Amino acid sequence: MIGQVLGHCRIVAKIGEGGMGVVYRAYDEVLHRDVAIKVVRKNAGFDTSAGQNLLQEARASSSLAHPNICTIYEVGETEDGLYIVMELVEGKSLHAMSAAGGLPPESVLRYGVQIASALTRAHDRGIVHRDLKTSNIVVSSDGLVKVLDFGLAKRVGGGILDAPTMSFSTVQGASSVSGTLPYMAPEILRGDPADARSDLWALGVVLYELASGHLPFEGRTGFEISSSIMREIPKPLGPPIPPGLWAIIQRSLAKEPVLRYQRASEVQAAIEAVQSGAIVTAAPSTDQATPPRISTMHTVRHAQVKKGDFLLLIGTTKGAFILRSNAQRTRWELGGPYFHGHAVYALAYDARGRRRIWASTSSFWGTLLRSSDDFGKSWTNPQQAPVRFPTDTGLSLKNIWQITLGPQDEPEVLYCGVEPAALFETRDAGETWSLVRGLFDHPHRPRWMPGNGGLALHSIVLDPTNKQRMYIAISSGGVYRTEDAGATWTAQNRGIRALFMPDKYPEFGQCVHKITLHPAHPERLFLQNHWGIYRSDNCAENWTDISNGVPSDFGFPIVMHPHNPDCAYVVPVESEEFRCACDGRLRVYRTRNAGTSWEPLMRGLPQKQAYETVLRDAMTVDSCDPTGIYFGTRSGQLYGSRDEGKSWNKIHDGLPAIVCLRSAIIEDGSVMPIRTSPKQAGAMGSRSRSASHQKSHRPARSSKR
Amino acid sequence: MPVTVHIPGALREFTAGRATVEIAFSNGTVADALTLLWTLYPGVRDRVVNEQGEVRQHINIFVGNENIRYTGGLASPVADGSQISIVPAVSGG
Repeated sequence: MIGQVLGHCRIVAKIGEGGMGVVYRAYDEVLHRDVAIKVVRKNAGFDTSAGQNLLQEARASSSLAHPNICTIYEVGETEDGLYIVMELVEGKSLHAMSAAGGLPPESVLRYGVQIASALTRAHDRGIVHRDLKTSNIVVSSDGLVKVLDFGLAKRVGGGILDAPTMSFSTVQGASSVSGTLPYMAPEILRGDPADARSDLWALGVVLYELASGHLPFEGRTGFEISSSIMREIPKPLGPPIPPGLWAIIQRSLAKEPVLRYQRASEVQAAIEAVQSGAIVTAAPSTDQATPPRISTMHTVRHAQVKKGDFLLLIGTTKGAFILRSNAQRTRWELGGPYFHGHAVYALAYDARGRRRIWASTSSFWGTLLRSSDDFGKSWTNPQQAPVRFPTDTGLSLKNIWQITLGPQDEPEVLYCGVEPAALFETRDAGETWSLVRGLFDHPHRPRWMPGNGGLALHSIVLDPTNKQRMYIAISSGGVYRTEDAGATWTAQNRGIRALFMPDKYPEFGQCVHKITLHPAHPERLFLQNHWGIYRSDNCAENWTDISNGVPSDFGFPIVMHPHNPDCAYVVPVESEEFRCACDGRLRVYRTRNAGTSWEPLMRGLPQKQAYETVLRDAMTVDSCDPTGIYFGTRSGQLYGSRDEGKSWNKIHDGLPAIVCLRSAIIEDGSVMPIRTSPKQAGAMGSRSRSASHQKSHRPARSSKR
Repeated sequence: MPVTVHIPGALREFTAGRATVEIAFSNGTVADALTLLWTLYPGVRDRVVNEQGEVRQHINIFVGNENIRYTGGLASPVADGSQISIVPAVSGG
């Protein structure tokens, strides 16, 4: 090619070579200037129409007169292919400049603002770069940034681009994916079309790379890189990177395009603000009517819930999930995670004239009760924590362990069991909560002792036939019952052992792990103790040890069959110290004769080296026929049985430690709920209010998370 | 000179997106400055302190570069022009 003339340019020397083309230095003999010519061979992977598209795009890009955009002067065709005559930029690529470990922050800002300025011009003209990367950006000897190859990526795939890194491209016309994988935005990987915000993502990658010397999303294979882009949060950049620059990078790398800057001009302004010493927030501007969303770099999927669906609500130590299925409970779709990084120890589905999910969230920032009326798409985020100890108690809320619905005909009544052990109630559907003083003032309270999980009131059981009667259980405090709607309480622990006490059968102080009651047989309760499984047939007046034949009577959850008051399920663990499935065999034990005998249920459950633990609220039943039973493990595995425990399937694994599980069938918002679990099916309360008396005012909803 | 409070990202939902809040304030304590912050942005309060008004266990408050846990807690003095930072502790699992 050397010496040949293309158009009116004589080729002088070869500068570089990429996948589909060669770049030459040339001399424009008419305009008397040095130029660069990229020659794209016809056999390089695109057909005639793609070639025409390339010509069109190049011509469009040639209109982008901007000091930071490498100008395209001319495009043309030869017998061998296409050629593009462009401004000759002599300098070093940002890729080469940052490879040795990142650039000084002031340089990152200086180059960043120029790149953003170039993107602003292009986007204003409707041109998206689609392959912005450090190797496409050159800095001339006088410090001027030039962005190369504008618009060229749109149709022709990555092959034309000089890719020092892996390219992920097809050459199939307009729908093709083009670009360079480590710079690709999540929406492109999902198959959505690229738009200007995809360029802003790439700009975020470029800024990160310039600041740190390495890419924010790395991997050994394309799959690993893609996974990282879709799911991972880049390692934070600390000093000397100014917090403002890190905030800009974070927001540019928001997984969802709506959470990013929406225009390149915003990025340009933000970088200029950091250059001037002003502080830049990662959040969108403050003058919006709605509360701004924080740029949280994670993706939340929402399950598309519709009438007739079956749901499992999953609380974990790192957030909540909503697992949706059809009525057959065979195919599952996972929504979430909600409340990223917050522990969710309590969940409830409230269908008493509404479709509301209640969740407790616990983190550094305290414990909150939150709710969603749209299956997780938005959650309340109240300014003031709704469940709180009055100042005179001297206590502060550590966790909400249980959310229990009030009676069916009192839809505004709910209860929360909390740590440190106390009971709260609301009579206005969660607007205001009050401490149940009758229990709080009990003379036993100062002598309750925290268990391993803290001093938790974790079980609240209503008697559906007697609104005055209610049970609660505390670890370690034991079982208490009220017969006067909470005004006074009595310890009901006769027959329950407390092996850690000098008196093995004390009046109170037992470490009860869970109690449950059958709505059709409300004088009968089952109880899983720190050691021992118990049944009472007289409203907890006396308890009988029924751990006949289980391999260990230590365990956490106990659930009852929704239709058979003689049937209950437990998951024994080996010992107080070990607290894992006995002998590494994960087995549920079922009694169908009220505890006279127990049978192991293991078909489909791992029976070798499965050292799993099922925590006290991580097991639930549904109301289907035959009944479904579900449990989650501390290792994040979720198992289910659709035949009352005869056989099991792993529904999901890889979740964070599961601490709470609830089921729901989605009916019309106005109908009565199913019995999601026996302990939610009761009724309690002294005042009756109908749904029509509900307040319409709800706490402000946030679209965050 | 006003006191500047730096708001962590997790709480900016309650400060209309602001990363910093300037409080007109002259010589007082951290508690005084924070009370003014709660007045402006009430949602921040329950995230930083508990019902008893104590700074949450895993939240640190700095005046300049000093953690107030070691300088007198909420009674620590705040001079004009100080920078107060609310920072979650590095811990967890």
